[in-house]
Amino acid sequence: MFIIANAGPFALYRWEALFKDWRLFADAFLYTILLAIGSLIVAMLLGIFFGSLSTMHNKLLNLISRIYVEFFQNTPLLIQFIVVYYGFPLISPMLTFSTTTIAIICVGLYHGAYISEVVRSGIGAVPKGQFEAAYSQGFSYGKTMRYVVLPQAWRIMLPPLTNQIVNLIKNTSTVAIISGADVMFTANSWSSINLNYIPAFAVAGFLYFILCFPLANFARKLEENNKKAYTR
Amino acid sequence: MKKTKKLLGALSLALLLGLIVGCGGSEDKKTTASGTDLQKIKDAGVIKVGVKEDVPNFGYMNPDTNKNEGMEPDIARLIAKELTGSEDNVEFVGVTAKTRGPLLDNGELDMVIATFTITDERKETYNFTTPYYKDEVGFLVRKDDKFTDTASLDGKTIGVVQSATTKEAIEKQAKELGVTFKYQELGSYPELKTALTSKRIDAFSVDKSILTGYVDDSTEILKDGFSPQEYGITTKKANTELNEQLNKSIEKWKQDGTLDKIYKTWNLD
Repeated sequence: MFIIANAGPFALYRWEALFKDWRLFADAFLYTILLAIGSLIVAMLLGIFFGSLSTMHNKLLNLISRIYVEFFQNTPLLIQFIVVYYGFPLISPMLTFSTTTIAIICVGLYHGAYISEVVRSGIGAVPKGQFEAAYSQGFSYGKTMRYVVLPQAWRIMLPPLTNQIVNLIKNTSTVAIISGADVMFTANSWSSINLNYIPAFAVAGFLYFILCFPLANFARKLEENNKKAYTR
Repeated sequence: MKKTKKLLGALSLALLLGLIVGCGGSEDKKTTASGTDLQKIKDAGVIKVGVKEDVPNFGYMNPDTNKNEGMEPDIARLIAKELTGSEDNVEFVGVTAKTRGPLLDNGELDMVIATFTITDERKETYNFTTPYYKDEVGFLVRKDDKFTDTASLDGKTIGVVQSATTKEAIEKQAKELGVTFKYQELGSYPELKTALTSKRIDAFSVDKSILTGYVDDSTEILKDGFSPQEYGITTKKANTELNEQLNKSIEKWKQDGTLDKIYKTWNLD
């Protein structure tokens, strides 16, 4: 109880100040959710597109997909943000995007690369015999994918996919560095004026937690189901 | 299965809470032992001071000499001489507007001399000495845009540094003039300068003397200035003894012209 009494960084009045300004954090929370949904859509589209490219039997398409994946997997998200935010407007004023757009595109591209790998490995994990069996029954490539391979691959892909979504949500916090008013930025900005940084970041962490925890839990459950499905 | 999960959840929550309470507890002990803090610094024989590393003339880490240069490191050296006998007994730690508060709280720093503006709200959290420097807020703009004064920036985007008092000051001034601004809050001064170059912001606003370090051929500082900002040396709230000691020193150096001499060295007046 002594925490409450003193004027240290944990003091009770700092928490009260935080709850008085709850609207600020609620808005920030919604903004984070908006960013997460926006970039998830971008990431899924890109991931499925490039993931399918890499499973096709065409060297050029495979290469394109490889380049995309390697580039975005091996450069930090932060650098991509900085380049697009500061660098692009220098090339041409036409390339001046809003903070929200940059966040959705950058996080989308970055996680698109990871999701593409999830898709590729998911399809790759389906035994070759399944393809051959389908072909021998007269299925075309498209039909083989649709009726035989994807239903099996989907099951394999889901757990790592949900993990990617969790990571995506956490990575949207990078937008704080370019002044996008998400949870991280609000915690930073709000606490810097009144110096209540302990409650601010504790609540920010909590908000991310309640977004990510159910998803991570869901992923684990899926994995357990998978285990049951393939063991007798 | 479900029950064990719930139990685990409750356990980890309890652990987390315990951790927080634990931290709070140690905090409390430190405050009760405050009386000896000045002595502790003297015993340690070295003072740990937070200074800026990106503000030319105030606190700047010179990459050529690898030394902290500027008015504020100089004051820190004076204090070191006063407390420990030699001006070499200073350990400089680079801080930003964002990190200086937490670093004081966790005991990493004994004091902060880093263009820390004194406000009533901040006084509740830290000790501030009498101001050693006073400055007003100004704007750095691109010459091409031909802005003339604060009012001509109506509706434009102003870049301010996070954790600074600048935004509040501008807000107040804007209300008086009946104009509105948009804001971008970025992490550091160099970032703001880059944002100005890449036209992310239309004006870079902070205390004028800090701006002087960032003027180049294509930018200029507007004549307008407002809301004088007072800088004070900051110490932890519990270190009242240290604060009093620093206060005395600042007063002394103000009167005998030591501070004026330092300002002249760094082209500040």
